[in-house]
Amino acid sequence: MSGEQRTRALLGPADPARDAVIAPPRLSAHDLIVRAESAPEPLRHRRARPARRLAVVAAVVVAAAAGATAVIHTFGPVRADHAPVAGPRRPAAPGSVLVPVAYQFTTDAHPAEAELHALAARISDAPYDGRTGRYAYHEYKDWGSPITSSPDGRYVVGETMDFKVWQADDGAGRQIQTALEPQYPDQASRDYWESHPGTSAPIGQPLTMTLPRGHLTPLPSNTAGLADVLDVRSGGAAVAKQISMVYGRYVVPRRTRADILRVLAGVPGFVWRGNVVDRAGRAGVAVTFDDREHAEQVLLIFNPTTGELLAQEMIRTDTSKWVSAYRLILATDRTDQLG
Amino acid sequence: MGPPGKRDEDWFSRIYVAEYPHIVKYGQRRLADAEASAELAQEVFVVAWRRRHEVPDHSLPWLYGVARRLLANQWRARRTAPDVQPLADADVMSGVGSPGSDATVGVTDVRAALSTLSDLDQEILRLVGWEELTVAETAQVLGCTRTAAAVRLHRARKRLNAAMSSRAVGPGAQPALAQS
Repeated sequence: MSGEQRTRALLGPADPARDAVIAPPRLSAHDLIVRAESAPEPLRHRRARPARRLAVVAAVVVAAAAGATAVIHTFGPVRADHAPVAGPRRPAAPGSVLVPVAYQFTTDAHPAEAELHALAARISDAPYDGRTGRYAYHEYKDWGSPITSSPDGRYVVGETMDFKVWQADDGAGRQIQTALEPQYPDQASRDYWESHPGTSAPIGQPLTMTLPRGHLTPLPSNTAGLADVLDVRSGGAAVAKQISMVYGRYVVPRRTRADILRVLAGVPGFVWRGNVVDRAGRAGVAVTFDDREHAEQVLLIFNPTTGELLAQEMIRTDTSKWVSAYRLILATDRTDQLG
Repeated sequence: MGPPGKRDEDWFSRIYVAEYPHIVKYGQRRLADAEASAELAQEVFVVAWRRRHEVPDHSLPWLYGVARRLLANQWRARRTAPDVQPLADADVMSGVGSPGSDATVGVTDVRAALSTLSDLDQEILRLVGWEELTVAETAQVLGCTRTAAAVRLHRARKRLNAAMSSRAVGPGAQPALAQS
């Protein structure tokens, strides 16, 4: 049996679309040709659609969680330890408008390679280095997934979620997520949602989930393996996303933090933005990568002393200059106690 | 392989009818959202018309490649964290380690193990296992050589095997991959 056949024999029964009946397309081939020819700017066209799609996904999630926008930041099944209640009507104009982080070097930023190598060489221990405990603990705040957009895709609101996650090496643990006030990418969105209030997750009410056992792959201890995890082959935007994933899931030891910075230094396209202050008010040093194909800039902010990732953000570089997503990593530790 | 044939509306209608269901299923396997999958498929064919002179006669791997890039764009553009998974998606894993028939446990375990692999490992396994592409076709989707795809598939299978071996499942219920 060939490798292809073995793969099919194993995966085939698990194919979620194996017996799916596909409805005929809503648009004819001619309709699509008209659409293709009438929208010659793929980037603008493509950018407008994900918001609507994600709004649909968000609706599914909201329905599934009976009013709460529940997401699990790990693998495996989860059990909600108590059912959330349906959210209140969103109060008039709560929350703030996001403003992009200010860079020390706004223009003519130079390649980040040398600065990242220098940072890797000088980092010191983080408060958690050397600590032991059954659970890795993380607290982080996310905005930008999911989002809800107006029917025309112009006005956007995103729930801000705080996550506290305790997870053992076998995957077992606990997650507490709390919806915070929504945030908006611009004032026009805030004004729109003020006059179009909708159902939101219950603000300030924690939702506790039990994380089951599962397989948590350890971080590679060698640079080649780390480059694989960081998906270096896919370019700067993918690497930034993976670094955010790594720091949100693992308690990253000092040596690996340095290796991550060195791997990042070797990824073309990152530029040095110098000293910044993140949304939590912490001083950091920043690099950015311009994903020109998608008109998006990815920002990574590192602790200048320990090399930990403090924040990741995405900023649209078209005329809107919106912040489209961010993650703040607020705490990392090891502990024996579940919160 | 000769140059692509005539690329007119008739040609486009033929590949649309023939390949649309495959592209929708590609989306369903990755999005768990029928509506979004249909939208994705239509977007793929919009791209195919715009770039019709690049579409090879055997078009399906090329179309999968477009779908893959569109999905990557969507996730890159809208997500900071790839490990964020909507609760609704967790349904596929809810049977792991729970009582049930061997077949059910096997399916859920394969999906759960698959979800622990890297994006690239998952994609090559899905392309071969679910889209039923050959290694050469998979290489076309991923934009690499056939040799590189074969090596990647071999390694991904080993990692899937390891992930499944480490999962706790009911007695006798754990499927295993033969080593190649």
